Amino acid sequence: MSVEHEEQFEPTPYVVAIITYIGYVMLAVFGHMRDFLRNHGFEKNLIATEPARTKDFVPLYQNFESFYTRNLYRRIRDCWNRPIRTCPGAEFELIDRKSPDHGWSFEYPGTHTRAINFGSYNYLGFAETDGPCADAAAAATETFGCGVGSPRAEAGNLDLHTRLEATVAEFVGAEDAIIFPMGFATNALNMPALIGKGCCVLSDELNHSSLVLGARLTGAKIKVFRHNDIADVEAKLRDAIVYGQDRTRRPFKKILIVVEGVYSMEGSVTRLPELIALKKKYKAYLYLDEAHSIGAMGPHGRGVVDYFGCDPRDVDVLMGTFTKSFGGAGGYIAGSQHLVALLRQRSHSGLYGASLPAPVAAQVVTAFQMLMGRAGPPGEGARRLKQLEVNTQYFRASLHRLGVIVYGHRTSPVVPVMIFMPGKIAAFGRETLKRGLGTVVVGYPATPIIESRARFCLSAAHSLDIIDRSVQIIDEVTSLLLMKYSRRPPPAWTAGITREWAEAQLKLVDQQRRPHGAANGGPVPRRPVECRGDPPDKVADENDAAVKDNLAAVAAAS
Amino acid sequence: TAHSDPNPNHVYFNSRGIWATYVIFIFITHFIVLSIPFISMALAWTLTCQIHNVITYFWLHWEKGAPFEPLDQGESRTLTHWEQLDDGVQFTANKKFLLVVPIVIFLLTTFYTRYDQIHFLVNALSLVLLAIVPKLPQLYRVRIFGINKW
Repeated sequence: MSVEHEEQFEPTPYVVAIITYIGYVMLAVFGHMRDFLRNHGFEKNLIATEPARTKDFVPLYQNFESFYTRNLYRRIRDCWNRPIRTCPGAEFELIDRKSPDHGWSFEYPGTHTRAINFGSYNYLGFAETDGPCADAAAAATETFGCGVGSPRAEAGNLDLHTRLEATVAEFVGAEDAIIFPMGFATNALNMPALIGKGCCVLSDELNHSSLVLGARLTGAKIKVFRHNDIADVEAKLRDAIVYGQDRTRRPFKKILIVVEGVYSMEGSVTRLPELIALKKKYKAYLYLDEAHSIGAMGPHGRGVVDYFGCDPRDVDVLMGTFTKSFGGAGGYIAGSQHLVALLRQRSHSGLYGASLPAPVAAQVVTAFQMLMGRAGPPGEGARRLKQLEVNTQYFRASLHRLGVIVYGHRTSPVVPVMIFMPGKIAAFGRETLKRGLGTVVVGYPATPIIESRARFCLSAAHSLDIIDRSVQIIDEVTSLLLMKYSRRPPPAWTAGITREWAEAQLKLVDQQRRPHGAANGGPVPRRPVECRGDPPDKVADENDAAVKDNLAAVAAAS
Repeated sequence: TAHSDPNPNHVYFNSRGIWATYVIFIFITHFIVLSIPFISMALAWTLTCQIHNVITYFWLHWEKGAPFEPLDQGESRTLTHWEQLDDGVQFTANKKFLLVVPIVIFLLTTFYTRYDQIHFLVNALSLVLLAIVPKLPQLYRVRIFGINKW
């Protein structure tokens, strides 16, 4: 089954779109009215205003720019920035707050709410307070202290960093890797080290703002192509090669295609095999940002390259972050020896910013080791990967059966559920919290105007019971708010995905407790170099050849 | 934003159903005006035409910037909504649509006012000055006498 058949983005129903626009217009009309009343003294004005003595100066801020924040966001801002008081694992405890004046200020009654955590990027469940990772982080703090106090080029290079880089390179399948303390800066400040003026960047429509900022900082010509549209990429590539730079028509020095592995707002997966074929044909370079897919996708957790069975050496720049799947902070860039050596010399982030603190580095190294089967209880890495995969498919299938519109790819752990109308955004956020579910809701302008959504981030820490309870809560809330807009039947792949299927899958991993193969740190079985368009068949079942081999190996060893 | 276009104002008018919503709003205004009992048919149509032209003038050609903070570092703070639509590209489908709608309303109004001279004059003036002239590509980013520049 090709990628296209496993992801869907059901378009907004027409009537719903019109009602959404009418909703926004009404909010704007009321906003203008309330602004008028506030500015002319009929209503209490709680907005920060300039003091009287500067009234005749040129205004510091444009009043209109904060219209949305003042009139829409402020009224429902209890749905965001919720303070938590425990580790953000599968569940967390939120500090309750009440707003007596519609969002201008908050009062804290002192109570707490325990809720299921669907807001944290905790794909493999490494956000925990005990375990090998936490022990390693504590030990590293005792050895190295908390901070580093220096960039890597000066006095901030710990042997932990070198070890982490080697681990990352091995995990991802590249020759070498370099790490940075901040994921956003990894993108934004390293693209200028790789390309400059006279080059061309082909960037996906929905790329993250770190990639957009990085592309703008390079000074190169940026061409944006439609999301996941390979024909558009090819057309723009051909234009770039044939027509060259803008006025001089000189050829571009380098052409870099920038895509993400998994797009966190849509849950879609990039078309990696086609892009690799394209870049080989036209001799361009490929930059793959695996922030949300490293550790979360692929049978061995090695990201979207693993998922498609492609050769990591085909992707020129493999970038990822440690924030999402590894419970740390920071990012890495992996690639050829030459590339990494260049970045060590030229990276703005690597030369001027302080390096990754020791406890974070220790946490991340231990997380990688656990995934490769070299640390922690035996088979723990494989168990987490399998749990995430099962959770994702089970959750998505259950939501599809409810009749809500779910975006994204079958195996993407980011699950957007469409809300559409502005009033329902806040209602969904509040009603789910009342019932014990903590989730992130997003609206305009972060999403297109008729595509506001709630975004669920699955985790290996969630158990099947938690998922069942959450689906029940979502069922209640979406019935209450009339959010079941989907007019299509549940997709074909959801047919066999039931609780029994999920439990059977998880039992399979329990049987493979003896680490072997890739989970033992051995080489990941790779497909032949020319990667096919079709991803590997999804979840292993008893008939899968690899599983049979593994079971035979376990039986032989015991 | 999740889109690499820093200002959502550039693209939102391409969304599904927004043209229909615009027309629906015009209908709603017209029905409200028509339901006031002591207004004659001709006056109702003229009122609709005037209200439409004035409101769209303020919405498209007077208010500058965006109601939220876009990521474009202030490039659109001095641009009216018309100039932000489609990122300044002229002759797009959206711009043609927004130019045609006031003209169609004007034609309907002249018909329903039975070509009365005063009504025609008032409507034609508001059409040309408020609806057509600001939309011409020659007046892109032009501020006459510096009015509304900052």
